[in-house]
Amino acid sequence: MPRFLPPLIFALIGLILFGQGAYIHAKALLAQVLLERAFTKTIATGHPVKPWSWADTWPVARIEVKRLHVSTIALAGSSGQALAFGPGHVEQTADAGERGVAVYSAHRDTHFRFLKDVAIGDEIDVTRGDGKTFRYRADASSIVRFDQSGIDPAGHGHELVLSTCWPFDAVTSGPDRYLLHATLIPAGS
Amino acid sequence: MTTICDEMDNSRRMRLSRKARIALFFLVESVVALAIGFAALFLSFGPGWSAERPQPAVLKPSDARSGSLLLKTDDGYTDALRLGVDVDLTVSGPTVRARVTQIFRNPTQQWMEATYVYPLPAGGAVDTLKMVVGDRIVVGDIKERQQARAIYEQAKRDGQKAVLTEQERPNIFTNSVANIGPGETVLVQIEYQEPVQQNGNEFSLRVPMVVGPRYNPAPVVQSVDLRPDGGGWGSTATDPVPDRNRIASPVLDPAENAAINPTNITVRLQAGFPLGEVKSHFHQVKIDSPDSTRRVITLAEGPVPADRDFELTWKPAAEKAPSVGLFREHVGNADYLLAFVTPPSVEQARERPMPREVIFVIDNSGSMGGTSIIQAKASLLYALGRLQPNDRFNVIRFDDTMDVLFPTPVAANSANVANATSFVSALQARGGTEMVPSMRAALSDNNREDADYVRQVVFLTDGAIGNEQQLFETISALRGRSRVFMVGIGSAPNTHLMTRAAELGRGTFTHIGSVEQVDERMRGLFAKLENPAVTGLTAKFSEATADMTPSAIPDLYRDEPLVLAAKLDKLAGSVEIKGRIGDRPWSVTLPVASAAEGKGLSKLWARRKISDAEVARTTRQATPEESDKTILALALEHQLVTRLTSLVAVDKTPSRPEGEPLKLTELPLNLPAGWDFAKVFGERPRLQVAPTERRADGGDARVQVASLKRSPVVTTPPATVPLPKTATDAELKMIAGVIFLTVSLLLMLFNRRQMSSPR
Repeated sequence: MPRFLPPLIFALIGLILFGQGAYIHAKALLAQVLLERAFTKTIATGHPVKPWSWADTWPVARIEVKRLHVSTIALAGSSGQALAFGPGHVEQTADAGERGVAVYSAHRDTHFRFLKDVAIGDEIDVTRGDGKTFRYRADASSIVRFDQSGIDPAGHGHELVLSTCWPFDAVTSGPDRYLLHATLIPAGS
Repeated sequence: MTTICDEMDNSRRMRLSRKARIALFFLVESVVALAIGFAALFLSFGPGWSAERPQPAVLKPSDARSGSLLLKTDDGYTDALRLGVDVDLTVSGPTVRARVTQIFRNPTQQWMEATYVYPLPAGGAVDTLKMVVGDRIVVGDIKERQQARAIYEQAKRDGQKAVLTEQERPNIFTNSVANIGPGETVLVQIEYQEPVQQNGNEFSLRVPMVVGPRYNPAPVVQSVDLRPDGGGWGSTATDPVPDRNRIASPVLDPAENAAINPTNITVRLQAGFPLGEVKSHFHQVKIDSPDSTRRVITLAEGPVPADRDFELTWKPAAEKAPSVGLFREHVGNADYLLAFVTPPSVEQARERPMPREVIFVIDNSGSMGGTSIIQAKASLLYALGRLQPNDRFNVIRFDDTMDVLFPTPVAANSANVANATSFVSALQARGGTEMVPSMRAALSDNNREDADYVRQVVFLTDGAIGNEQQLFETISALRGRSRVFMVGIGSAPNTHLMTRAAELGRGTFTHIGSVEQVDERMRGLFAKLENPAVTGLTAKFSEATADMTPSAIPDLYRDEPLVLAAKLDKLAGSVEIKGRIGDRPWSVTLPVASAAEGKGLSKLWARRKISDAEVARTTRQATPEESDKTILALALEHQLVTRLTSLVAVDKTPSRPEGEPLKLTELPLNLPAGWDFAKVFGERPRLQVAPTERRADGGDARVQVASLKRSPVVTTPPATVPLPKTATDAELKMIAGVIFLTVSLLLMLFNRRQMSSPR
C-alpha cells in the first residue's frame, strides 16, 4: 500500500500543476471566443458590452495582423485580471487612431505570442469599439525595463505600441519588456 | 517448448497492455487537466496566477473606468501632498530680512515625508529654521551636515516630526519634513539675510521662486584617483554632478497641469531715503505708501504659482542715489561694518576708448527654448549693433555641440557683423547644455601680446547646469587677461552660477528677465563694457584692526557700488578707500564712528567670508581642507546653513504610531515660465507626467499657466507609463506538471517491476 502512495501523490501534484497551466491557456482561449462575441455586439450597438455578466472589464479593440492570420480582442485596462483574458489597453494612453501613443499589453505566451513573428513593415490593424479601423505599420522594436518604457503618452505622433514580456522563451517573468512600435498609416494612402 | 512459447506470449501481452496503460494514463490525465482548467475558469478569478501591475498607476476619479478599478488603484491619491509658500521680506536700509514659510498639507490617509527643493538668493545667509505643529513651535539648531542628517533620520524612525534644511548649492536648498500625519498641516519657516543690490541709481532685490531643471553632463571628464596604498592602481570615476539626484525634482508639464505651489509675497520696504519709482518687473503688485520713505508691496491678485523669480527695484526720489552708505552692528564682542561706495563716473580721459576684442557666447540649448532664446537673440543682436569698426569680435553658440563663427576674432566691419547677425537670427533652442567647452573656447586668447585691445567675453545663458564647479574651475584656470560678463536670461536663471562666474572672470552679471528689459539692461551692460573700470582698489582702516571681505577688492564697472563688509575690534577712526578710475587716482575716506545702526550685518559678513573661502577653494588658493575648516567655523559661530552645515528641528513629542508606514514624496516643481517643456525633456521625456486632459490640445503653455493662475491648485503627481507584467507561469506550471507526472509514472513502473520480479 505505501508503495502506491508516492506515485499517486506525484501524479496528483503533477495533475494539479499541469491543470493550472492548462487553465491559463484555456481561459485565454475561451475568453477570446466570448470577447469576440461581445466585441461584435459592441460595434453593432455602439455601447460597451461585457463579455460575461461578472466581468470587470470590456472589449475595446481588435488587433489584427493579416499576414500572420492572428486576431485578438483587447480589453480596457491592463490589470492582471484583464490580461488573463486578452491584451489590455494600458491606462492613460491614447486610444487607437488618436494623437499620442496607444499602448496595448498582453502575455507573451498567450495573446501576444505572435509578436515575435511580426516583422518590421508588417501592417497591424486596430479596430475600435466604434467600428473604425486604423492601420499601423510596424517600424521599430525595442527592449526596455517595465518602469523605463520611455513612452510619452501625450507624444505628438500617432503611434501604437504593443508590449509583452521579454525574452519570449523564458519560463519565469523578468523586468524586461519587448516593445513593438508602429506608426499610423494615414487613411487613404 | 510450449512453456517457453507461452512465457514469450505472456510477456508480449504484458508489454502490450503496459503500453496501452501508459497511453491511457496520459490520455485520462490530459482530459482531466483540461476539464479542471475549464471548470476553474468559471469558478475562481483569483489574481494570483496571472500578471499583476508592477506598481499602481496614479489614477484620478475621472480616469476610473469602473468602480472596481478605482478601488484597486486608489493609491493614486497618496502622492497628493500640497505645498503653499509665503514670503515676507523686510528691507531696512542696506539689508533684506526674508521669512519664507512653507506650508505642507497632507490631505491623504497616510503618514508622509516630504522633500522640497527650492531656490534662495545666492548671497542669502540662512540662519533660522522654525517648525510649527499645531500650537507648538520648534526652533532648529545648526549642526554639521552629517550630524544633522543623523538626527533627522533618528527622529524619522522614532515617529517624531522633524525638519531638515540642507544646502545643495549656495542658491539651492532642500527641506525635508518627516512624519506629516494624515490630514495634518506642518509649517516650516526659514529666515535669511541678504544685502540689497545696487546698480547706479537703482536698488533691487530678487526672490528666486523655482529651480529650473538642470542639464547634468554625463561623466565624460574623468580624474584619476590613485591611492597611496594601491600600488599604482587607482579608480577613474568623477561624475561632474555627483549630487545630480539631490538637485532634480519632478517637473510638471505646464501644458498638461495647472501650476502648483501657490506663493504669496509681501515686501516691507524701508529704504532709509525718500523713495521714487518702485517697480515689480514680473508680477502685478499693489503698492501702499504710508510715508515717503516706506512702501508695502503685495501681490495684486493673490498667490501666484512659483514659476518665475520676483524682482523689485526702487529708486530714490532725488536725482542722484546716495553714493555712500555706512552701517554698523555690534554682535558679541565685535563690531561689524557694511560700506557701500559708488565711485563717481568720470568721463573718458583719453580721446578715444581702447578698442575691444569681444567674444559673444550664446546658449541655444533646450532649456533656453520658449521666450529665453528670443531674449538672448535680441540681446546679442543689440550687442552686435553696438560694436565699433575698430573692435574685433567673434560669436560662439553652444548646446551639447558648439560652433565658432569665425576661426579667429575678426574686425567688426559691416560684412562681418551682417554675417554674424544672420548666424544669430537662425539659432534655435535644442539639445543639452555643455557649457565648459564653449567657455574654454571663448577664453582661448590667440592675441595675448596684443595689449592694445581689451578682451571681453559676453556669455548669454540661463545657467541651467548642474556642474557649476567645473565651469568655475575653467574660468579661474584660463581667464588670462579676458574678463567675463555673464548675461542671465529667462524667468529663473541660476544666479549662483552667474555671480560666481562673473566674480571669477572679473566681470559683471546682468540679468534679463523679459524681452522688454533687453534694451535697458544691455545698455547698462555696454556702459560697463565701454567705460573704464575702477581698478586697484584697496581699503585701509586707520585705527581698528579689520577682517575684511572681499579681502582683495574686485574691479568695479560703471554704476557698480563697492560693497565692503568688515569685522572690527573697535569702532573708531576711519576707512580710506583708494583706487584708479581709468588712469585717474580716486580716494574716499569714511568716518567709521558715524555709521548708522544696521541689522544682520554680522551674518552678511560671515556669508561673504564663506563665499570667499569657496572661491579660494576653486582657484586653489587654499586647500579643500583649509577652506572647509574656515567655512565650518564661520557657519557654526554665525548659525548659517552652508555646504557643510544644516539646520535641523525635531519635535520631541512622538506623533506617528509605531508600525505605521511612512511614505516619501518629492514635491514637484513648476517649469519656469516661458520654458518649453518638450525642449527641455525631449520628445520622450525622462519625467513623464500623468495628463489631466489627455486629448486637450496643449497650445501655448504660457497662456495656460496664465489662465490657471487664479484657479485652485489641483494637480496630478507625475507618473510614468509602467508596463504591466505580461508573462504567465502557465508554461512553468505545465512543465513542472509533466515532470511530476513522469516521475510518478517511473515510480509506478518501478513498483510493477519489483512486484513482478520475485515471481
